[in-house]
Amino acid sequence: MDAVETSLALAPPHADPAEARLMSRSIGRRILGQATGSTGFRIGLALVLILALAAALYPELSGIDPVKMDVRARLLPPLFLGDKWSWAHPLGTDQIGRDMLVRSLVGLRTSFLIGVASVALTLLIGCALGTVAGYFGGRTDTVVMRITDAQLSIPMIILAIAVLGVSRPTIPAIILVLGLSNWPVYARVMRSVVMAERGREYVCAAQVSGATHPRIILTLLVPLLLPPLLFTSVLDVARMMIFESTLGFLGLGVQPPTPTFGNIIADGRKYLLNAWWIATMPGLFLCLTLTSINLIGAAFERARNTIHGGA
Amino acid sequence: MFVLSFLARRLAQGAVIVFLVSLLIFTLLRVVPGDPVRLMAGGMAPEALIEQIATRMGLRDPIPVQFGRYLGHVVQGDLGQSFVRPANGAATGGANFNDATRGERAEVIRLILDALPMTLQLAALALAFALVFSGLLGIAAGLRPGGIADRVAFAVSSVFISLPNFWLGIVLALLLSVKLGWLPAIGYGGFSYTVLPALVLAVELSPVLIRTLSGAVAAQMSESYVAVGHVRGLSRPRIVAAHALRNASVPLLNLLGVQFSSLLGGVIIVEYIFDYPGLGLLTINAVLQRDFPLIQGIAIVTSAIFVLINILVDLAATTIDPRLAY
Repeated sequence: MDAVETSLALAPPHADPAEARLMSRSIGRRILGQATGSTGFRIGLALVLILALAAALYPELSGIDPVKMDVRARLLPPLFLGDKWSWAHPLGTDQIGRDMLVRSLVGLRTSFLIGVASVALTLLIGCALGTVAGYFGGRTDTVVMRITDAQLSIPMIILAIAVLGVSRPTIPAIILVLGLSNWPVYARVMRSVVMAERGREYVCAAQVSGATHPRIILTLLVPLLLPPLLFTSVLDVARMMIFESTLGFLGLGVQPPTPTFGNIIADGRKYLLNAWWIATMPGLFLCLTLTSINLIGAAFERARNTIHGGA
Repeated sequence: MFVLSFLARRLAQGAVIVFLVSLLIFTLLRVVPGDPVRLMAGGMAPEALIEQIATRMGLRDPIPVQFGRYLGHVVQGDLGQSFVRPANGAATGGANFNDATRGERAEVIRLILDALPMTLQLAALALAFALVFSGLLGIAAGLRPGGIADRVAFAVSSVFISLPNFWLGIVLALLLSVKLGWLPAIGYGGFSYTVLPALVLAVELSPVLIRTLSGAVAAQMSESYVAVGHVRGLSRPRIVAAHALRNASVPLLNLLGVQFSSLLGGVIIVEYIFDYPGLGLLTINAVLQRDFPLIQGIAIVTSAIFVLINILVDLAATTIDPRLAY
């Protein structure tokens, strides 16, 4: 198996689509294979799975309502810290007795959902525009590239804050703003790889044999060029989750009573002096999640770099 | 001569970008819901009064007309007056809106120029922290790929990139300011107030710097000129300091130009957390108060700074590596 892959990697530019697709599977698989072998990837994946499972199940199984108040159990510290802690609330409670663990996990759900959805949107827009620009070239290319240049030089955070600040931030609006903030990066990468590929013999062969442009793009180019981008987009999920919680912290994210990391921490900041855990515990959760996602993404990125460097 | 034509072309491109940014932000602010006049006049103001004020301020004209008028003022250096901030500093707005006070409203350009030095001071200190820290770690990592420094650099950058700045700011304020009392945290009363926010920003900037620098140094050290340097009898420190680092600094410079945007995002959050009176805090407040002229002014000024920084970065890169001249 290894020998086959190595010979494929060293093979001259492939001439027919079947071989090209084989090659693409093999590049994707090689990145996957090399990344999954690293310790960082395994730790990251294990943590992400545990956190995802906890976020999916614990709030339901424990039967604790993340917005239910309980004044008798207010401001309880996390386990083993302080003197009033209780097993019923492992991470303690906030100023009106809401359970911090359930709130953090529900926040994790929202954040993860928004992170994944906005990266999907980014990929869709960026890759579509990048592919079109790279494949057709000429005036289409110029127009698309000028738009990406312009967007890259706009301070997106100001735009995001301005738009969400003056309109009402709903989940779709947040996904849209986050998704629109980062696509030029993908458009540029996709354009350059499509450009490098479009002059190859197999693309010309497909054109001569009458395949339509959409068909060539969708069946030949995208399956070949998308996987490496997909792997590294994992890092962007973490970035978008930070962006989402930042907006929440500023009061421009998903609105209370739905708990998000951002609004829990913003709330907890007011009680920092007598209940430090309200602001810090959800943050630890968020950091743990982001670190695990980043470990996976970094493993993919390293694998891609060594494969591209070596092949 | 080359420098002049380069500057002329880049400044022209920059002007187009600033124009596009102002057009975009101007349109967006007027298209999305949220009426600043209602905020200024107070929730109780009758509909007729709101319409009257809005019409007098020109807010009911077609957007292209408004934009043309605005741009006419901007090219004369007039960014307009804030909707809500008076010149003397106290807050206005709410129920006491009347047109007589309009003359006393703060000039947008004044507000920005007052806040800008504070933010530049913060950004410069943060950049200095980040460069020293990432420089040491990144170069050590790049000189011995796979070694201990490389692993430490990888671990540090993985953790740093996962620390949300607003949370880190709160935790550091709690530890260094409240518990230990080493540094002041909230507001501004001297240079020491800049240190804590700058630390938070530096942590945010470091991961990318570390990775870029270690990658660039590692790439340079495997170039043939390094091997030739050994043959020529140059010492390793001399090869690294005089040759490899010089070449490795080009990707770092380019990165700094691109990083400006994320630095700006960090500045907004960090200034908000520490109540640091710079451009970031001004931005947040402008948005929360729907202060259109101020938001527009900030967007124009920041994109102009962004354009200028990128031109400077390219000029510096060409000085280091003359092959980049085009």
